[in-house]
Amino acid sequence: MLDFSALDGAYSILTSSWSAWLWLIPGLVIGLVFGAMPGISITMAMAIFLPITLYMDFLPAIVFLTSIYTGAGFGGSVPAVLMNIPGTSSAVATTFDGYPMARSGRHNQALGVALASSVMGTLSSYVLLLFLIVPVSIIVLKLGPLEMFVIAVWGLLLLGSLAGSSVWRGLLAGIFGVLLGTIGMNTAGFIRGTMGVPWLLDGIPAIPAMMGLLAASQLLNLINTTYLIENEDDRKISFAKIIDGVKLTFKSPIIIFRGATIGVVIGAIPGVGSSISNLISYSETKRNAPDGDSFGTGNPKGVIAAESANSSSEGGAMATMLALGIPGGGATAILLAAFAMHNIIGGPQFIAQNRDIVYAIIFSNFAQAILLLIVGMGFVYLAASIVRVPLRFLIPSVLVVSTFGSYAILGSLAGPITLFVFAILGWAMVRYDYPVAATVVGLLLGSLLEQNIIRTWQISRGDLGYLLERPGAILILVVMIASIAFTALSKRRRKITSSVTDPAES
Amino acid sequence: MSKTLTRRTMLKVASGGIAASFAAPAILRAQSTYPDRPISVVVPFDTGGYNDRLARAFAPFLQEAIGQPLTIINRGGGGALLGHSYFMQQPDDGYSILCTSAAPYMPLNILTQDAPFKLEDFHMINLPSRDYTLMATSSESDIKDIEDVITRLKADAGALSIGIQPASADLVNVMLFADANGIDRDGLRLVTYDGGGPARNATAGAVVDIGLVGGQGFIPLAEKVRPLLVFDDSARDGWTSPTVTELNGADAEFVAGSQRGWGVHASFVEKHPDRYQTLLSAIESASKDEATITSLKAQDLATDWIGPEASNKALAATARVMTQHIDLLKGT
Repeated sequence: MLDFSALDGAYSILTSSWSAWLWLIPGLVIGLVFGAMPGISITMAMAIFLPITLYMDFLPAIVFLTSIYTGAGFGGSVPAVLMNIPGTSSAVATTFDGYPMARSGRHNQALGVALASSVMGTLSSYVLLLFLIVPVSIIVLKLGPLEMFVIAVWGLLLLGSLAGSSVWRGLLAGIFGVLLGTIGMNTAGFIRGTMGVPWLLDGIPAIPAMMGLLAASQLLNLINTTYLIENEDDRKISFAKIIDGVKLTFKSPIIIFRGATIGVVIGAIPGVGSSISNLISYSETKRNAPDGDSFGTGNPKGVIAAESANSSSEGGAMATMLALGIPGGGATAILLAAFAMHNIIGGPQFIAQNRDIVYAIIFSNFAQAILLLIVGMGFVYLAASIVRVPLRFLIPSVLVVSTFGSYAILGSLAGPITLFVFAILGWAMVRYDYPVAATVVGLLLGSLLEQNIIRTWQISRGDLGYLLERPGAILILVVMIASIAFTALSKRRRKITSSVTDPAES
Repeated sequence: MSKTLTRRTMLKVASGGIAASFAAPAILRAQSTYPDRPISVVVPFDTGGYNDRLARAFAPFLQEAIGQPLTIINRGGGGALLGHSYFMQQPDDGYSILCTSAAPYMPLNILTQDAPFKLEDFHMINLPSRDYTLMATSSESDIKDIEDVITRLKADAGALSIGIQPASADLVNVMLFADANGIDRDGLRLVTYDGGGPARNATAGAVVDIGLVGGQGFIPLAEKVRPLLVFDDSARDGWTSPTVTELNGADAEFVAGSQRGWGVHASFVEKHPDRYQTLLSAIESASKDEATITSLKAQDLATDWIGPEASNKALAATARVMTQHIDLLKGT
């Protein structure tokens, strides 16, 4: 709970020197630009700027780096919406509805919706953090493999809604993805499916594979079109429409709330974080929305669900980093390194003794989230001009940028090769009407599923009674089943009453 | 990912095609005093891990001692196999040096992963960080001490779930511990984790009953765990638990944990003895520098000067014990 003397301390830290505030906007802009480039991960953007923070004071350094974090967290959604390229695995669900919106000429709105949901997600996750930083971090530590397995299964439920024309094709594509996800060395030390290629020991590099499947395959299919948006009148870049999108977001507070909650809880789990929270939020929203069938064809609610969950993961990851000294992912590992450069070691002692600094960091993130709304609007306005570039220039440029990006991720040719192989695979799948998104989801969740079912089996020795010892897992299972049952029930009721249009639909 | 590579790639991305200008190799100047251009430090792990932190923290001091800037290149993946192989492909001219967990990863690469190199291809200049296996339990656990663990495991080897990394020094240690204390090693209930971090979290969160992981990584979590046994011959880092030699006698068998620090190509030492001498004395003086010691200590990083002889000997000894237990390292 809140510690008021520390709050006061945080206030005086933040007001005593204004130099920390100077770094907010540069950090956000850097984050946005880098995050929007496919293949440049949040971690990389932060790693590049880590050395210069050595010459700053502690607080400005952390404010600067967390601003990059916040900016890059949203930046990744821009190519996801405009080009169907999720710059990071956490923007996968954003492509499902964001890209169809852009193609049908609603790119301004889509970007506005994505921006506003990101801001709301970040903001609410830090509000939650302010009150619950220690409990959140303890829950994370207590999560065992069974809980993780159930969460991964929850993520897999999304496959059902990605199936497209044929459920069987969707399942096949999903299973194919799960199998791809198990390539490499598994948690028990066995190596499978690497065909002797050492680059596959850690599994198929997920981001180049994803870019290949989703983006390259799409782009190759665009070859006979001249512009991303067919209708010339729709190709406008309009500030008013971006603001429309922002307004539209606030009409769906429940979706934002659900997304933010899923984002904080699941995003906090070290190592899994945001790449799964956006999928679960999307699938939950789709199932619970009265217009669920229009998801995947450009429903703004899908973008809201994905974006509010992936950006609230930032707060969750910060909780484990600040309270336990455990980096939840690359970005928080860089932050810990920045802490270390200023001779501050994160962990239980840090949060116990320096609560005022922790609060100061949280407060500066409130400011970042709000500023992101303003800086971000300018940024998406500029970025939206992509829709005016003729495809004969855009497609080759995007392919080149993706290739460099996939190289940057791994620092070796393994990245571009993966991109190339999966681009062909993605094209073939689209050609024969298999949903590529299902394979992407399978690929992201495959190793998670396998690792955790193995560990559950190791701990329990196959004894089903173990489930009873894990109230957390039971709780997650109950919530999941209740949510499915509730959907089924309300769907049936809707069928009976039928045809009531939803006011939030635009 | 490397700073330079990333920045380069960034520029390529930004300029969308002036890549060619970057592909040009560094201009080779006439042979003069070593070093006359920046030196690359290959870290075969991703950013944020111990070796990466060590390399980045030590670099400013080594830079000053050697008179040329250092560039950190992260090549993570495949349990350091990719990074070690990459390093071996670099010219052995002293412009690429290595900062790695030589043990256990080099022996593991060689014994279990068909590495394209031998241990003798590397020469360690200084391995200041010598980790050790710590057996610990969550601070809220009802396991009191190591005697308690032995009693329970003797009665039923599967009584406690044990968090551990597959193919690790920790795994060899738990087997040696079982043998020395009359516990059925095949009956142990091992729960495998992909990294030290997840295994420690599972231990601290009481997801597993006990965990055996590198002890230094447990320091930030000290409040959340109760130490049970230190696998070393003397007390380490203020852990209050007994050491394995106190438990099983002075000749108790165990494997040292990670040995981390600085290395070069073995062929570099033969080909360029003068350059080697320059590098060696630069690392030595930087390691012994008061400023280095203060700075690295504050970050819980090791900087003791052990020297090439002792470092290579310790690494070879660990490799020997691991070779003896090769069956344990291949799949759990």
